[in-house]
Amino acid sequence: MVRRLALVAMIAVLMLITSALVISLSEAWAQTGPFGVGGGQPASGIAGWLLAKQATFYRALAGLIRAAKTNGSAYWGLMGISFAYGIFHAAGPGHGKAVISSYLLANEETWRRGIVLSFASALLQAVTAVAIVAIAAALIGATAKMMGDTVRVIEIVSYALITLVGLRLLWVKGRGFLRAVHDLSAKSAASVATARAASDRLRDTSEAAIHCRHDHQAGVEHSHHGNDHARGHGHAHSHDHGHAHGQGHAHDHDHAHEGEGSALPWGHAHGPEPEELAGPGGWQRGLSAIVAVGLRPCSGAILVLVFALAQGLFWAGIASTFVMGLGTAITVAAIATLAVAAKAVAKRFAATRAGYGTLLLRGIEVCAALVVTAFGALLLTGFMASERMGMF
Amino acid sequence: MIGRLSTVFALLTCLGTLVGGADAHPHVWVTMTEELLYAPDGSVTGVRHAWTFDDMFSAFATQGIEQKTKGTFAREELAPLAKVNVESLKEYAYFTYAKVDGKRDKDAFGDPVDYWLTYDQKDAVLTLHFTLPFKKPVKAKALDLEIYDPQFFVDFGLAEKDAVRLVSAPAQCTTAVEKPHDESFPSSQRFDPNLMTSEANVGMGANYSNRISVTCP
Repeated sequence: MVRRLALVAMIAVLMLITSALVISLSEAWAQTGPFGVGGGQPASGIAGWLLAKQATFYRALAGLIRAAKTNGSAYWGLMGISFAYGIFHAAGPGHGKAVISSYLLANEETWRRGIVLSFASALLQAVTAVAIVAIAAALIGATAKMMGDTVRVIEIVSYALITLVGLRLLWVKGRGFLRAVHDLSAKSAASVATARAASDRLRDTSEAAIHCRHDHQAGVEHSHHGNDHARGHGHAHSHDHGHAHGQGHAHDHDHAHEGEGSALPWGHAHGPEPEELAGPGGWQRGLSAIVAVGLRPCSGAILVLVFALAQGLFWAGIASTFVMGLGTAITVAAIATLAVAAKAVAKRFAATRAGYGTLLLRGIEVCAALVVTAFGALLLTGFMASERMGMF
Repeated sequence: MIGRLSTVFALLTCLGTLVGGADAHPHVWVTMTEELLYAPDGSVTGVRHAWTFDDMFSAFATQGIEQKTKGTFAREELAPLAKVNVESLKEYAYFTYAKVDGKRDKDAFGDPVDYWLTYDQKDAVLTLHFTLPFKKPVKAKALDLEIYDPQFFVDFGLAEKDAVRLVSAPAQCTTAVEKPHDESFPSSQRFDPNLMTSEANVGMGANYSNRISVTCP
């Protein structure tokens, strides 16, 4: 019992480390930056340094737009600074870096899909900003307050969507976690009663049974199963195969049939098919995350657009916004890739510990789902401040 | 047993990781000149702010406002905007924090008594003027005023010249101004946005705040 408690505690600690790792890695990445700036200024802290960079770039944007009125070569500078601003700004609020990473952690997603999600949400964000300013300011002649109010409404919808995506993940992953717990308890009870060899057999069969009953049980388990027991479980393999390519099932559970390809004993070595890239459940599932994260435009982009409009250089503002989006996407995609890689490491670790390993993975997923939900809820209720888009 | 424990552990761990609050960087820059208003008896009745916004925010704020003369805005044309400004400032306690004889007074200020906006055509910037009255005139040996945004969406900085003026103050009063360490960009110092937004830290000790200290021995 004590040993079991210790293991549970260890799993909890590991989960903590994983999430801390994702956060700190993401910050470390942002600090290193795309231009190999590296090092930063330890004394002032990563956050302070990042913010200083962002503010500097942001201030430079205004100057370059002003300069572009008279000097054509300023456009190049404007694009360069927009890109840099996007890269750095993605480390800040409103870009769903954390939400996308957590979403990827909660789901069995590939890094390719993580990158696609990051770019799609950043693109949507740029489009929303341009659309708001084009319609409200350029066409209707709306005031700043009206634009701020519009953003506020979009913001609420976006935060509500994040919360819903999180809750849905929580529901699905929470059940998976409880199942893993239940599974483990049952196994431990069995092992006390029977000889070790017998219990191993029992575990194998009960796991197989669980897989059959909950046919959407995470693919991770299948793959471990396959790893551990080589080719002993024909039904499990064929089951996984059939499921991975199965059409039209509504479950949004995980299927690790790509990504860490080498871990899969039946060799999915070929490149991703479009439908594989879309992931199980198709694009609709990812779409909810894209919209939830990308709906809310970046306040900075709106200010730049309105400023450019006032200078009679609206198209320069639009170009700047999309280049900013590109920079944002690159940072978010890098962080998302790290999240996926971190989970792959956890998965490899889990493979060495039957039962508890599964519990660890399910735990990470629940945790990530909780983070998504909490982000949405905190933003929605105003406990966590995102960007302000009002008169102050 | 294990099930319940694991669930509890999982929940605790997750909550533990939910620490990273939102980082913000300023979208609005304000250059301030401040006046402290004195009554004949030597007490401070209020603070008159004059906050000049950066040109990007000024362009945003004036977007869609009708103007009779192109390129500039009359005070009357800006009146509705001034109202919006001051009303939204209330939520942020006007970013103005007072410490009387070393003691923080959370409820020092009443609502602004007058407010208006002016537009500088040359620099294309707006300046918001408003007077923040003390609820009770302050008669203190030491009065500290701090002006900053704890969430750092607005970067406040004192004007280079004549940033602080005492209006009809007793002759023996002196002012000292403490600017953020790096004036060009205050936030380059380390600060923790989580701590900054917490009640305990609001108003005092923020290293990017501007502090005006008036001593009247």
